[in-house]
Amino acid sequence: MKLKLKVLIGAAVVGLMSAQAVAQDKKLTIAFIPGIASDPFFKAMEIGAKKKAEELGITLIWQGSASEYSPQTQLPFVDSALAQGVDALILVPTDPDSLQPSVAKAQAMNIPVITVDTTVTDQSYLTSHITGDNVDGGKQAAKTLAAQIGGKGEVFIMSGSPTGTTNVLREKGFREELTANYPDVKIVDRQYAYSQPATATSAINTALLKYPNIAGIFAIDGTSGTGALAALRNSGKVGTVKLVGYDAYKVQVDALKEGVFTALVAQQPGREAELALEYAKARITGKDADKIEKTVVIPNVVLTKENLPETEKYMYAQ
Amino acid sequence: MASAPQSSRVEAGGSAERLRDLLMRQDLVLLVIFIAMIGVFSAINPRFFSLPAAANILQDFSPVVLMAIGQTFVIASKGIDLSVGSVLGLSGVVMALVIRACNEAGYDPSLTIGLGLLAAMAVGLAVGLVNGLMITYFRLVPFIATLATFGAAAGLSLVATGGVQIAGGPQAVIMLGNKAYGGAFTVPVIAVFVVIAVSWVFLAKSRFGRWTYAIGSNAFAARGSGIDVQRHLIKVYMLSGLLASLAGAFVYFRLGSGSPLSGRGGELSAIAAAVIGGVSLHGGSGKLGGTVLGALITTAVLSGLIMVGVEPNWQQIVVAALIAFAVGIQSVRGPSAGGTS
Repeated sequence: MKLKLKVLIGAAVVGLMSAQAVAQDKKLTIAFIPGIASDPFFKAMEIGAKKKAEELGITLIWQGSASEYSPQTQLPFVDSALAQGVDALILVPTDPDSLQPSVAKAQAMNIPVITVDTTVTDQSYLTSHITGDNVDGGKQAAKTLAAQIGGKGEVFIMSGSPTGTTNVLREKGFREELTANYPDVKIVDRQYAYSQPATATSAINTALLKYPNIAGIFAIDGTSGTGALAALRNSGKVGTVKLVGYDAYKVQVDALKEGVFTALVAQQPGREAELALEYAKARITGKDADKIEKTVVIPNVVLTKENLPETEKYMYAQ
Repeated sequence: MASAPQSSRVEAGGSAERLRDLLMRQDLVLLVIFIAMIGVFSAINPRFFSLPAAANILQDFSPVVLMAIGQTFVIASKGIDLSVGSVLGLSGVVMALVIRACNEAGYDPSLTIGLGLLAAMAVGLAVGLVNGLMITYFRLVPFIATLATFGAAAGLSLVATGGVQIAGGPQAVIMLGNKAYGGAFTVPVIAVFVVIAVSWVFLAKSRFGRWTYAIGSNAFAARGSGIDVQRHLIKVYMLSGLLASLAGAFVYFRLGSGSPLSGRGGELSAIAAAVIGGVSLHGGSGKLGGTVLGALITTAVLSGLIMVGVEPNWQQIVVAALIAFAVGIQSVRGPSAGGTS
């Protein structure tokens, strides 16, 4: 009888404890709102985020506009995430000012916010801001290209659009580096692809006719890079014209192996997302919260055919 | 059997001839603009007047002209097809996916390319069929029906690829798209010229073309004269879809990969080329020669502007001005000529 009671109490205690354990281990729900869900860069980020979420036991809500990189299309996703009462919000703000009210709203609801890749104007409430460095990427591209053409000659910039902030920053870094350290490298022209690889191809083909001495091309984004590949194959200038691209999708890494790209400046979208999730969990649970850094710049990596054995791991997941 | 269509053709003959005279002149005007343009660009930068530059322009011209030919049929039937740019993108990535799969399965390169091409064409025909059915059986206006497929096809190409470029074709693909005969004519470019010729026969010399014009000028009368208007319109939209998918295949061959972003905005270039070429948005008119010249002018001007060093942001303004000018002279001339005869 006594024994029976003991067993019963014991069972009840164990039951209570495990119930408590369940409550403590309540799965965290974190919303991650990318700039534009359909873009391969954010796709790579998504894959990194999903893997990390699984590892950390986090329910990840990955939602974003499929069609457009703009605050108008992004705001509904942010609003609905906040309305759901997520435990944390990870955001790639499509505009530094337009998304500020959303951060204020999250603050009022006591939901931690981390920005990734881009950020908002007033960062005081942010748990952290994790980003790549586009100006540095442009500089790395300039250094690499200048070295590959032997420190002198004509180069051409194939850009994506005059309004894309990442493009503008990369171009800025590229120009600054050349002006500061490579006086004999001359930028002869710059054109825009406007998201159309074929537009980049014809612009480069035309530029190669206009400036037959072009020694190097900086293709500032994925679209420009794809167009540049075709243009060099088209005009039979593979190898003679050095081509530095940006980002490391599989297609590009394959072309690097083939020798059409001579270098790629890679970001680490997956790493950015992983760190954001780690910080979010630390901030909510308090465990390792002291390790959170307010601003983290994830460095760029330059991939070349020579260093590929060590750097191939930076190829973006897809 | 021959008598009924015969008589309707004769009736339509009078107004068609007047229109033809008008459009003849539009052809001439365009030819003059084109030659003048080449002259100006070549004077500023002699490198513009070269075979490689021409080869380059032909590469740009081909996808635009394919879509513009489809648009010519559609607009002549008093419709519009906004889906062609998205169809270009979707058929390009479907082709890339099929070719990659076949290549990985170790199929023979020509069989691989053939299957890819068929898959692309199937995409174009399917979207065209959906457009046609929505317009005829569900009575949607063409603008709305094709706006819907425009969005759907663009979305599908992102879904199918996850937003990334699809490469992985055999080396033969790159060879086919880049090996030029006579310095400028790759196999795909030659194929485009064949398509232009066949389409010209279709529009100008066949019953298909006559019916298209008849429906565009007066669908009610066309039905009265025994034309199965619904069936014919479905065929017109399928033709437009098919041509857009060939444009997708062309871009695939050029780049050696399929991009879900390809073709964005292509519908507007196609409509611009057709309208510059003298195709009236009121339906019932339009000639293929004009459309071809329209496509040639709009693509050559971009290449030329880069050659002479016009700032990128000004390029689109210059193109816009050119469109306004080419269409402007046409409409200034149009009403007065119509009034006098």
